[in-house]
Amino acid sequence: MRVFRFVLSLLVTTLLCWQLMVPQAAGDKKLPPIGSFFNPFSGFWKNAEPASGFYYGNPEIPGLRGRVQVVYDDLLVPHIFAESMEDAVRVQGYVTAQHRLWQMDIATRKASGRLSEVLGERTVAIDRLSRRRGMVFAAENDLKAWNRSPESSRMLEAYSAGVNAYIKNLSPADYPIEFKLLDYAPEPWSPLKTALVVEAMAENLCSRDDDLASTNALALFGKDTFDYLYPEWNPKQQPIIPDTGQWKNWQPAAAGAGQLSLNQSKNTDNQSIKPTPAFETDPYVEGSNNWAVAGSRTRSGHPLLANDPHLTLSLPSIWFQLQIHTPAQNCYGVSLQGVPGIIIGFNENIAWGVTNVSHDVSDWYRLQWADPGHNRYMVDGVAQDVVEKIEIIDIKGKEPLRDTVRYTVWGPVVYDFNPDHPLRDCALRWITHDEPEPGGSIVFMALNAGKNYDDYRKALAAYDCPAQNFVFATRSGDVAITVQGRYPVRAPQQGRFILDGSRQSDAWQGFVPAERVPAMKNLSRGFVFSANQNSTPPSYPYYYLGGFEDYRSREIFDRLDVLKNATVDSMKAIQLDNFSRRAADALPVMLALLDRSRLDAEGKKMADELAAWNFRYDADFTAPPLFDVWFDSCYDKTWDEMDRMESMLIPESWRTIELLEKDTASIFFDHPATTWRESARDIVNESFGLMQAYFRQNPQKRSSWGKFMGFTLKHLALIDAFSRMDVVVGGHRTAPNAMQKTHGPSWRMIVDLGDRVRGYGVFPGGQSGNPGSKFYDNMVDTWAKGAYYDLLFLGSAEEVSTRILGKQTFSPSPQ
Amino acid sequence: MRRALYIFLFVFLTGHLCRFGLPWWGIVPLGALAGWLLPLSAARSFGAAFAGGFLLWMLNAWLPDSANEGLLSAKTGQLFLGLKSGHLLLVTGILGGLLAGMGAVTGFFARELYVGSKSNP
Repeated sequence: MRVFRFVLSLLVTTLLCWQLMVPQAAGDKKLPPIGSFFNPFSGFWKNAEPASGFYYGNPEIPGLRGRVQVVYDDLLVPHIFAESMEDAVRVQGYVTAQHRLWQMDIATRKASGRLSEVLGERTVAIDRLSRRRGMVFAAENDLKAWNRSPESSRMLEAYSAGVNAYIKNLSPADYPIEFKLLDYAPEPWSPLKTALVVEAMAENLCSRDDDLASTNALALFGKDTFDYLYPEWNPKQQPIIPDTGQWKNWQPAAAGAGQLSLNQSKNTDNQSIKPTPAFETDPYVEGSNNWAVAGSRTRSGHPLLANDPHLTLSLPSIWFQLQIHTPAQNCYGVSLQGVPGIIIGFNENIAWGVTNVSHDVSDWYRLQWADPGHNRYMVDGVAQDVVEKIEIIDIKGKEPLRDTVRYTVWGPVVYDFNPDHPLRDCALRWITHDEPEPGGSIVFMALNAGKNYDDYRKALAAYDCPAQNFVFATRSGDVAITVQGRYPVRAPQQGRFILDGSRQSDAWQGFVPAERVPAMKNLSRGFVFSANQNSTPPSYPYYYLGGFEDYRSREIFDRLDVLKNATVDSMKAIQLDNFSRRAADALPVMLALLDRSRLDAEGKKMADELAAWNFRYDADFTAPPLFDVWFDSCYDKTWDEMDRMESMLIPESWRTIELLEKDTASIFFDHPATTWRESARDIVNESFGLMQAYFRQNPQKRSSWGKFMGFTLKHLALIDAFSRMDVVVGGHRTAPNAMQKTHGPSWRMIVDLGDRVRGYGVFPGGQSGNPGSKFYDNMVDTWAKGAYYDLLFLGSAEEVSTRILGKQTFSPSPQ
Repeated sequence: MRRALYIFLFVFLTGHLCRFGLPWWGIVPLGALAGWLLPLSAARSFGAAFAGGFLLWMLNAWLPDSANEGLLSAKTGQLFLGLKSGHLLLVTGILGGLLAGMGAVTGFFARELYVGSKSNP
């Protein structure tokens, strides 16, 4: 009996412990091991930060040369005061990790294809593609080049050491809550991880191409129809750099050097236009605005600069605000987790901001295999060996996946693991795989310390990828913009279609020389701007292609063009502008084609409401949902014959509007299945009916644009409890306030370059990455209502301000 | 009664060793030790140790939670079937109590077995 009682109680106790030790599930949700997660001494309760007070200690960290003071303001922005940039960067690494460690970890895991190590089988496909696209290969090439610059290497090491000084002092109790939820531990940082963060940004911003879809479209339609459907130049475009005769005498050295194989039938392999399984491609959603207005147009007579990069919005926020003060610089702005220096910001003399350059810098080369095992391929009749790279993807709870990636002179063969993939025999030539300039990693630090236009141009010279439009202004009155990046020299149309990998002459013909990259300074019109539109008009002698923005840029141009006596408030008004040029272009055309006599009472009411709409996507407006559903149906019905094919290029929306307006009898308005020949008028009326039907079925979608768009701010691991699902905002991707369901202005910044430089800014999130901190999402509501914070730009660590929360002092640790 | 109080105090006080790196299940052997050293009936050992473990875990969760104004517990509760902050504290206490209590019962029975085997040759 006694034995039995003892054994039973021991068994029950052991079972209880076991149950609390293994991961659990609630419904379909995975839960962490309950015992360690609820344990108040090391579980999630330790992440409940005090809601008031200042509780950061004064760490000693190795490698510091002097004492560094970090002053925190009431938004938890660290203001770093250091004796040298190296010390500042070391502490930047430390404080960034202090607030955003899990975000840093998961971002580099995603870029390097290592998510499955901690998330299990569900992310294997994502990891595999990251590896096969050569993300780590690209990061290793970055590092190889950066290490050739001693300063660059020193800064990267200092940043890494700062992050690691923070990690080293952590006990499991101190880990960010996501580590506890997902049940794994942080690993040390390294310069390679910084390169991976940069590559993740490149993947995000410059990995888009339409090569396969264009090749298919060309094969199906032939050249004339192709040119009719997909013109490269939108006549309404308002390019970043106007033609002022500056490139009249430039002869691209390589244009016409090789005869390209554009229209050869082997590139337009008929097999690839048959319906194939859908391969997911991201819709083109990233964009940004920036501009600088010269003193001639401002009330103060000093320049104003504005920037709002539009990215996938998430919590924790993509940006981290920071001030870095050293004897050589005093700079404020936003940084990226894992990257030393400030990316977008201002100092006592200058301000700058970035938008993405939408050039296509990734091409596909169809290989001619020399052997059935695909170990060799032909280039100009000579067989070359592929270089095999073995990728081992570790998967939590499963056997690792071994994968072999073949690298060619063009780049990796990405899709050959899937015999059905239309790009299975193609290699990816992608600019981000190339070694960058050695100084590439310290571009932003040089910019942070810049004092004038020459410093800015000198700093940018080493910047190549992902290409960015760097807008710039100085307190002394200069405004400028540079379409900075490394661009291949292409023959006309080269890279629009899949290229022939068996011919060296299909290779890129070198790169556009730095001094011929589009740029301008102090134009008489008194402003510079960009919004992801074409860099230049077609007269620019270097051929380029890409996905260019057609609406925001025109609206911003028109607003800047009439500015007089501009103030910070006028800049805010443009950033928050919900006016859509797409709606303004399309709606009058569509209303003119609409046959009102055939509408029912409800339809007439809707048409009236649309006719009275001012083309603004305000959150509480009810007309925008009507227009968007109508326009989207109209677009889909116009291109329905292509929509059914996989990997087919669909014409751009501006071209669709142009056809609705000017070519109503176009054969593309016809539905092939009917005996009747439809025109634009039929499509517009049919889609109006579809719109009515849609709202009859979804009456709740009718209530307002904000509700219709359904904006969400998701946690990076899609944990709903750590997301903000209650934010209602207006805006539209075709309006300067480029809001979408999960994308939008990730940092709104305005800088007034007066006698004393002042900055205003806000981002949808908070400085802390801890969902248990009030600084996790404290700026979200301010952002949603279109308000800004005055950025606290301190002159010294001793400066008195009511906004100071506390100080953290860093000292060198005795070694 | 006094012995029950000792068990309670033993578990509650030594349990704070978990603050210094003892794993979360450390409270089980601590409960067992209390059950062995301070023999009562099985039920009373369990009860006294449960109370000690409950208070230990609950209190150490409640203190940071109240300083945090319940911000994190409200979010974490959503992950666990929509529990409210207070319920989460209760669950935490019960877990600590169960672990300590089961440890104490096991310790008590172990002693019974050991002592019993000696006294009954």
